[in-house]
Amino acid sequence: MLSLFKRYRQLLIVSVLLLYPLVAFLVTGRRGREPNFLDRALIAMTSPLQSGLNWIIDGVVGTVNHYVDLRGVRLENDALRLENMQLRAAVQALGEARSENERLRQLLAYAEAAPGPEIPARVVGVNPVARLLSVRISSGEQQGVFQGMSVVTPDGIVGQVIRTTGGYADVALVTDPQSRVGVRVQRSRARGTAAGAGNGPLRLENMLRTEDVENGELIITSGTDGVYPPGLVVGRVANLAKKEHGMFQGADILPAVDTTKLEEVLVVGSPYRQAAPVVEGTR
Amino acid sequence: MKFLVTVGLALLLLTLESVLVQRAGLVLTRIDVTVVLLSFLALRASLLEGACSAFAVGYLLDLMSGQPTGLFTFLGVFIFLAGRLVYSLLDVRGTPAFVLFTMGADMAHGLLAAFFGWLTVKDGSATAVLPGLPLQVALTGAAALALYPLLRRIEARQERTQAGGLL
Repeated sequence: MLSLFKRYRQLLIVSVLLLYPLVAFLVTGRRGREPNFLDRALIAMTSPLQSGLNWIIDGVVGTVNHYVDLRGVRLENDALRLENMQLRAAVQALGEARSENERLRQLLAYAEAAPGPEIPARVVGVNPVARLLSVRISSGEQQGVFQGMSVVTPDGIVGQVIRTTGGYADVALVTDPQSRVGVRVQRSRARGTAAGAGNGPLRLENMLRTEDVENGELIITSGTDGVYPPGLVVGRVANLAKKEHGMFQGADILPAVDTTKLEEVLVVGSPYRQAAPVVEGTR
Repeated sequence: MKFLVTVGLALLLLTLESVLVQRAGLVLTRIDVTVVLLSFLALRASLLEGACSAFAVGYLLDLMSGQPTGLFTFLGVFIFLAGRLVYSLLDVRGTPAFVLFTMGADMAHGLLAAFFGWLTVKDGSATAVLPGLPLQVALTGAAALALYPLLRRIEARQERTQAGGLL
């Protein structure tokens, strides 16, 4: 028996190396597995390297840009000062509207969902496999980031946290073909689903043919998927196809956030989900 | 190439790619740096050493994908074994031959990844990456062209060290 093993030792080892991951894949399928000790150690080793490389690139690009930006900075300053004044006026007006809204909500005894924590993070790298469109961010369990939290920028939604380790997390982008987001048209409140298509625009699905939607209209999250808080910008409707027959109408959604040029993001907890314990000082 | 050197190189290349691709804004298309390593292993490494290294390289790719399922670990070993088989039938010598060999391996790697993805998901999402595959194969070929001299140099240095140790 032992001599037989010695004779076919190489063949046996190679067979195990080939078949073990195949069986693991066929068993776990698309779900993947939770990171183990070795995974965490390797991520802890590579992520600071990613951050360091980003820091070097930022330094070089920043130095060049600062030199270029010095030219014409005075003109830009004046324009920004003017814009700042306008924005402050707009914020003041919005504050009034918000307090009025809160008063009315209280009058109507409207149950308001408490907003989750907002954790800032920096994008340190992208996933090197095209099968899943995801990025790695510089906040993880230590900062209060947990699987299932949504990731946004001030312009709109980015994606959903799919894995966290110590100080880093992986975020599946909203453009990934597996991504589905509950959305509604801001003006008409018509509901649908935004599906990732792998690149560029998202697809607007499950929107009834009778619903009121036009090209160029703003699409926001509906909050019905239990992941994204309601009211976040997703994008604008384009290439609307209203068919004569069938239940649904189709369209593209041009994403508000260009996921190819992400730098800083915010991780937000779902207001409907019992969030995992938040580390102090992360809010 | 020794196991640890291959693993270290794979880790370094994947980290570099992850940052550079993010900076370049190539969200859909990737450069399969690991396939370059797998091709080199198929041509140069022994069966056991190569299979162990291919397993480790595939595992690293799985880990960096954000959703480790074991698929890329399996594909790593499979591409290595298939590469050895092809190498026994074809004469792969010199940089241009290595580049073509790597491009073929990358095409097989991409198609198999899409096929196995389709097996588990059974919707259009698994095959959504296929339109980007030709560009990915071309970029991987360019990476093979750039990395081949480096890999040869590392291998030669290791052989010299081993020979020095024997003397």
